Amino acid sequence: MGFGYQLDPGYVVAHAPELLFGLVWTVVLTGIGVAGGILFGIGGGILRAYRVPIVSPLVAAIVEFIRTTPLFVQIYFLYFGLPELGIQMPAFTVGALALVVWGGAYNTENFRAAIEGVPGHFSEAARSLGLRPATVFRLVTLPIAARFAMPSVTNTAIETLKGSSLMLAISFPELTDTTMNLISVSFRVFELFFVLGAAYLLLSAGLSRLMRAAEHALAWPG
Amino acid sequence: MPSWVPPVALYMLKGLAVTCELALISGVAALTLGVVLGLLLATDNKLLKRAITLYVELWRGLPLLVILFFAFFALPAAGIRLTGFQAAAVGLTLWASAVTAENVRGAIQAIPAGQMEVARALGFGWIGAMGLIVLPQALRRLLPPTLNLLTSLIHGTSLAAQLGVLELLEASRRSSQRLVLDAGDSHGLAIFAAVLAAFYLVCAPLTALSRRLERRLQS
Repeated sequence: MGFGYQLDPGYVVAHAPELLFGLVWTVVLTGIGVAGGILFGIGGGILRAYRVPIVSPLVAAIVEFIRTTPLFVQIYFLYFGLPELGIQMPAFTVGALALVVWGGAYNTENFRAAIEGVPGHFSEAARSLGLRPATVFRLVTLPIAARFAMPSVTNTAIETLKGSSLMLAISFPELTDTTMNLISVSFRVFELFFVLGAAYLLLSAGLSRLMRAAEHALAWPG
Repeated sequence: MPSWVPPVALYMLKGLAVTCELALISGVAALTLGVVLGLLLATDNKLLKRAITLYVELWRGLPLLVILFFAFFALPAAGIRLTGFQAAAVGLTLWASAVTAENVRGAIQAIPAGQMEVARALGFGWIGAMGLIVLPQALRRLLPPTLNLLTSLIHGTSLAAQLGVLELLEASRRSSQRLVLDAGDSHGLAIFAAVLAAFYLVCAPLTALSRRLERRLQS
């Protein structure tokens, strides 16, 4: 290797349990962030697309603010700012909340665009068959919009996975935090960065495959 | 105004200047490198294309924080010693150049291949045809994603705080810690709200412009 650096893959093997714990926390955070983000995104997308008075501009402003400020600073605000208002949350809660809110903001835009992209004649046809507006939305508009939204929702999901690494700032022991702690005590940089990088690339490949499977299951019949 | 505000605000403003400097340096480097890589992706050299695709997939696929740590902790072990600021600039450039390369490739691909063929048939070289015919048309499509990338890049500079770079977030964090030591009150709410507001004020014009250009592109 040169520079007097000796590779020692055994170190990674010896610390595999800690790394696996970190991996599990990363998966848990990402899972909560993606699922919560999609739920909030559908809700926000509906409020925005149907221009619900008062609420829609409010949602738009919140979404705009969250998308225009860094997730990293949002985490700091939640963890170090809110306690002053008496709202003290453990690191895990802050991490999950930050990812849900952030993902929800991006997914609100994703679902708004998707709902607005559904051609009007679909819902008109359903209306003229005698379905009520809510039923039209549930049975016609939303299923079509969900399919339109899939690619951008997948992007947001992968960004949520990457964003989970920022919880290191509040010492939540997810994968990046765990790995960086091991690096700071051992200086086994190359072995650990290799494992860390490979883990994220595999996780995001797995996540996009999962989303593609969902897209496939949702695909138009025929 | 409480007496703690002016010195903290001044300290944070100095941090904001470092944030802007970091964003500017990595932005210029990333755009230059990214456009070159994106253009090379449009050539017919298979080996070169595979190497660049690997570069793009790698740096686009990793969390930015991991890339910054890599530049800060792994490169020194390979004999490249960088300050926190330099490591952050290198990390941001690796990531943003990969995103730019992908954007450029997409924008060029959206221009009908006939444009290139006609230009070549008229006697333009590859560089002339690309630079004078294809790229100017691709630029219109390239602008919105590039503005979005700049916003993400400015957001990304806040991660440099983790390398000890005294940019806006780190300056705010240190101010808050100092206030705890001095007076027992972190003022975290006001300070981190101010950081959010500062990022909003810097980035909002960029996102607004990007949205306008995108809408014009669609109509």
